[in-house]
Amino acid sequence: MIKKSSIWWAVLISVIAIVFVATGCAKKQVVKEEVAAKPVVEAKKEVPKPEPPKVAPPPPKVEAKVEPKVEPKPEPKVEAVPAPPPPPPPPPEPKKEAVPPVAPKPEVLDLANLRIHFAFDDYNLSSKAKENLEKVASWMSRNPAFKIQIEGHACEIGTNEYNLALGERRANSAKKYLEALGVTPARISTISYGEERPLDPGHTEESRSKNRRDEFIQSK
Amino acid sequence: MKKSFFLFSSVFLLVCLTSELSPAKVYIDIRSPSFRKFPIVISPFKTTLATTEDLKLGERATEILSSDLSISGFFALLEPRMLAGNLARAVPEGTSSETGPRLMGATFETIDFRSWANIGAEALVLGEVVYKDRSLTLEARLYDVVKKEMIVGKRYIGDITDLSRMIHRFADEIIFALTGEQGFFQTKIVFVSKTTGNKEIHLMDFDGRNVTQITRHQSICLSPRFSPDGTKIAFTSYKAGNPDLYIKDLRTSEERLVSQYSGLNISPAWSPDGQRLALTLSKDGNPEIYTVNADGTGLLRLTHHPAIDVSPAWSPDGKKITFVSNRGGNPQIYIMDPHGENIQRLTFEGTYNTHPAWSPRGDRIAYDALLGGNHNICTIRPDGSDLRILTANLNRCETPSWSPDGRHLVFSSTRDGGPHIFLMDAEGTRIKRLTFHKGGDTYPNWSPRFKE
Repeated sequence: MIKKSSIWWAVLISVIAIVFVATGCAKKQVVKEEVAAKPVVEAKKEVPKPEPPKVAPPPPKVEAKVEPKVEPKPEPKVEAVPAPPPPPPPPPEPKKEAVPPVAPKPEVLDLANLRIHFAFDDYNLSSKAKENLEKVASWMSRNPAFKIQIEGHACEIGTNEYNLALGERRANSAKKYLEALGVTPARISTISYGEERPLDPGHTEESRSKNRRDEFIQSK
Repeated sequence: MKKSFFLFSSVFLLVCLTSELSPAKVYIDIRSPSFRKFPIVISPFKTTLATTEDLKLGERATEILSSDLSISGFFALLEPRMLAGNLARAVPEGTSSETGPRLMGATFETIDFRSWANIGAEALVLGEVVYKDRSLTLEARLYDVVKKEMIVGKRYIGDITDLSRMIHRFADEIIFALTGEQGFFQTKIVFVSKTTGNKEIHLMDFDGRNVTQITRHQSICLSPRFSPDGTKIAFTSYKAGNPDLYIKDLRTSEERLVSQYSGLNISPAWSPDGQRLALTLSKDGNPEIYTVNADGTGLLRLTHHPAIDVSPAWSPDGKKITFVSNRGGNPQIYIMDPHGENIQRLTFEGTYNTHPAWSPRGDRIAYDALLGGNHNICTIRPDGSDLRILTANLNRCETPSWSPDGRHLVFSSTRDGGPHIFLMDAEGTRIKRLTFHKGGDTYPNWSPRFKE
């Protein structure tokens, strides 16, 4: 070990010396074998160095929280039994007030269920897609503080670079439609993942058709 | 970890046993359209180990050299065992009883050329590997069996891990000595592997050996491309949340952000002089082709079309850029000048043609095409003529990349399930699988020959 490392040091030092000499003199005249040695030592030194943990994990795959719309269920049932005592039950009172005005509380929309799908190698919006986008737009107009990110995705067919471009176009199609419905552009961001994040990892046409899609993610 | 990338000649003290650098005679005329495969025999490399440990160095050396010469397509590799049989049946008169020629310290007079000639060999490789005092010495010689003389001989000294590099280096010597052209056995292939669970950039020898991981972004890394001098790799990563373009210097491991416009920063392609990159950006609202200096300055927009424009690739003379556009309704291969003028469509066959790659000789463009119900690797001339479909029954084949001599292609294929990297020659024959990772390997890009 010691012997080996000392050899390495010797090589390192000699290489550095050679590099100095080489750079000092005309670049071309270096002997080929020695020049070739230069990258080696640097590489040996540098490569093992673990990369700084700049781990910025990609935006988490947000499967929009599937929270059913918060409607207190006990209430209607209590009312559904109208026979008993007339004294209006005091507990429902405050809750009833909470239920009707939807606006003040952050309104949760199941964005995952509003994802829109596309035909193969296509970024035109279907009527179903437009319908979903209208729901998203009205939700956004009721909640002016909300922002969304549109993720464009493609199926595994075709090369990724083209699919990244295709995903970008799909996201942009949705963005333009939302803008046309009155959502300000600043509230919509887009990103394309190409074929990198399939919804369905299968390789059948059924899986692929699920993967040609836009996802809507609430962002901050 | 130990395997650093640019080990070229680290501890190699190469001793030229012959001083001749240019071949006196071209044994194999590889420019001829129908050259004869050259009959060569590799005598199993001898091993002398100072330790008792059996490292099978000789066997490995023989195997790697056979694999190299076989991949080149120039040789008919003869089986050395034929010699033993030959000798047993009819010992040629006038030969000694020595069955295997010794190399180190041996003079070539002791080599029984006649026996090798009898099995049809026109060239013979003899080699010996010695591992002693933590140092590996490989000596190998190429002989002309007919003339009974040495064509080239080399001795390499290095570390135990340098065996394959020594062999690749000698294989290049053989190619140069016999054909007069440079080999590619010391080149690398960069690719994307999902073996860690995330798509990261990896590097391997051209034959699939010595795989090393280059990035640790724990994100999505895509589209790695070697710079023309082989020292840098441009690629796209989602590390910062957006598909941005980076350049990694393989010698220093330094990583530099080149382009981080909003939207796509993808599909980098180095200009042949290494000064500029063609790439796709969507910052102006639509995926368009741009060029930029390698440091990110000097942005120039080339395409102006509401359709998708992506995946540029330069011609080797830098005078043209081929790219993919769906301006005709579906993705097809187009060509233009480096400033975006004179756009012409090249492909008309099929409805889905992507990922063009210009051959280093400039005579053909490879791409992947949805033809016959699946994606296949095809080539055309740069004027769009002479379509050749190279793959068949390999399931989905994508992202072709040329060898530096333009005689081979690597690509990804789902033939054996999750995509793996495959190698074939430019006629579509002799297909060899190179990677065996779990998770899938994609986007191979073949390095240039490294300058020494």
